[in-house]
Amino acid sequence: MLLNKENITEIIPQKAPFVMVDNLISADEHGFKSSFQVRKDNIFFKDEKLQEPALIENIAQTVAAGFGYVDRQVGGEPKLGFIGAISKLKVHALPTLNSEIITIIKHLYQFENVYLVKGENFCKNQLLVECEMKIVVQ
Amino acid sequence: MNRETIIETVKDFLSDEFEVDKSKIQPDANLQETLDLDSLDYVDLVVVIEENFGFKVTGEDFVGIATFDDFYTLVEKKLAEK
Repeated sequence: MLLNKENITEIIPQKAPFVMVDNLISADEHGFKSSFQVRKDNIFFKDEKLQEPALIENIAQTVAAGFGYVDRQVGGEPKLGFIGAISKLKVHALPTLNSEIITIIKHLYQFENVYLVKGENFCKNQLLVECEMKIVVQ
Repeated sequence: MNRETIIETVKDFLSDEFEVDKSKIQPDANLQETLDLDSLDYVDLVVVIEENFGFKVTGEDFVGIATFDDFYTLVEKKLAEK
């Protein structure tokens, strides 16, 4: 575990109740992996399921946590990143209460300060949401 | 790959990716304006270049690339370096 619930908010800009990632499990040049538990007090928990915006935000925050962690490892401060675009979005399923979501980010391309990543989150190996994101890093 | 093939290949994938009529892709036309590229679109351009020609381009490679003709020359040069 690289970052946990207690210290991940030192790396990502989001604060409660908008934090949609609990733990950063791994981060390397190929991508990042995180986990997140569905809780009843989540602002996107509705109709007994965690809704799509939370899952998309979970992907974006995993990217932020991963890049932030890598920045810190090389002695820098986490840079601010923005979602530039989301494409190829597919929603397959929504997780229920107390589910653990595992999110996997793969780096696809980088051009200057724009990163293209593929994000997927899973619950018990069931694919929930997949998309590509362009992240602009300041 | 000769220049003619490069031009046809580039026209095919650029018109498809950026939804531009092939007739607008002329040698002296401005690449950025014709394709309506913003900074985010350049990632897509990098992706389709690698998919079609098998090499990566960087920001430095685009320095001095204004027209499609410049772009064809860049592709020719990169292919020769492979």
